[in-house]
Amino acid sequence: MVDAKKLGVAGAAIVLVTLVAVFATSYMSDFETARNPSPNTADESQAVELKHAPVLGSKTATVTIVEVGDYQCHMCKLWFEETRPLIIENYIETGKANLVFVDMPFLGSDSTPASEATYCAGDQGKYWEYHSMLFTYQEEIDDGWASANRLQAFAFNLGLDIEQFDKCMRTDDHRAQVNSNMQMSKKQFGANSTPTFVIVNTSGESQKIIGAHPYSTFEKIIDSLL
Amino acid sequence: MNNTFGIVYSNPSYILISIGIFFILFIPLITISEFLFFEPFLVFSIYPETTLSFSLIVTLSIFSSFAVSLNIYRVKLIKQTKKIGSSIIGTVIGASAGACSCGPIAFSVIATFGTAGSIASSFLTVYEIPIRLISIGILILVIFVTIKSLSRECKVKF
Repeated sequence: MVDAKKLGVAGAAIVLVTLVAVFATSYMSDFETARNPSPNTADESQAVELKHAPVLGSKTATVTIVEVGDYQCHMCKLWFEETRPLIIENYIETGKANLVFVDMPFLGSDSTPASEATYCAGDQGKYWEYHSMLFTYQEEIDDGWASANRLQAFAFNLGLDIEQFDKCMRTDDHRAQVNSNMQMSKKQFGANSTPTFVIVNTSGESQKIIGAHPYSTFEKIIDSLL
Repeated sequence: MNNTFGIVYSNPSYILISIGIFFILFIPLITISEFLFFEPFLVFSIYPETTLSFSLIVTLSIFSSFAVSLNIYRVKLIKQTKKIGSSIIGTVIGASAGACSCGPIAFSVIATFGTAGSIASSFLTVYEIPIRLISIGILILVIFVTIKSLSRECKVKF
């Protein structure tokens, strides 16, 4: 008879090795993409696609910060609360930089409807207000905080026309845009985690940042691209 | 208990093993939990909301380093492996908590396993703190049992 304890030790060792392997491969690919950003990162086709994305700040700013995120990602919420206000104060309000959000809804089933809802709010001129509301009231993944009723309640709180918002959500008016953003996140920005940032200037120089870095990282990179 | 610690760590190689195990766990854990970044340059940061998570990673790494080094000593002394499995299990449970969150590991898991991966990933994210506390509990138990066993064995041997 096989010794159950030896089997347990072997099992635990296999799990440990698997975890280390997954960790290593995931992060090695991350480092690789950070060192060699996709050659399409700042190409013309991407610039054209981003033209239709809501922009926070001056459209003529020298630097554009592209944030790839998921409304259910808690690290995105942390970045939203801790780093983003400083960037807005020092770079966006001063006209040096602008911010574009690209949806990568992969964490749960409520991620895609949440992204769609921001564009439905955008139809009524409140994209960034809705975006902020989602991150402010974010809870755990798929625990109902971004259910259809809650998304409608957020729209109501922002004073949106609920009938128009509901119709937009029901008919999936912006599903194609969210799907296109998802593809863009992976293919053009090489994102495989959220938040991922690509900071690009008008000369086409770009720098990728993976993870919810502190303000100091953004300050150094934005200043170098200005 | 102090006496057992003294006996084990009077040998510098066990101190080195403990330090090694601590860093082998600590560096990957703070990297996957986004406290430490290597790109675009080396950055270490803790947001106020993540202080507890960071403290648990430090605690987990310290206890794992004690549990594993004490068990290595025990294996060498009495040639039995029965508690080293528990310390590895405690370490694995603690290490897996929070490893998924929004990072590339979650992306790989969800892309590979679909909905099941998504559920597992969100479970490990939501229950990160309780899972780490359970694993610290397991490690404390392992250390306690190992020290008791070593005290008993040492009395017999010496």
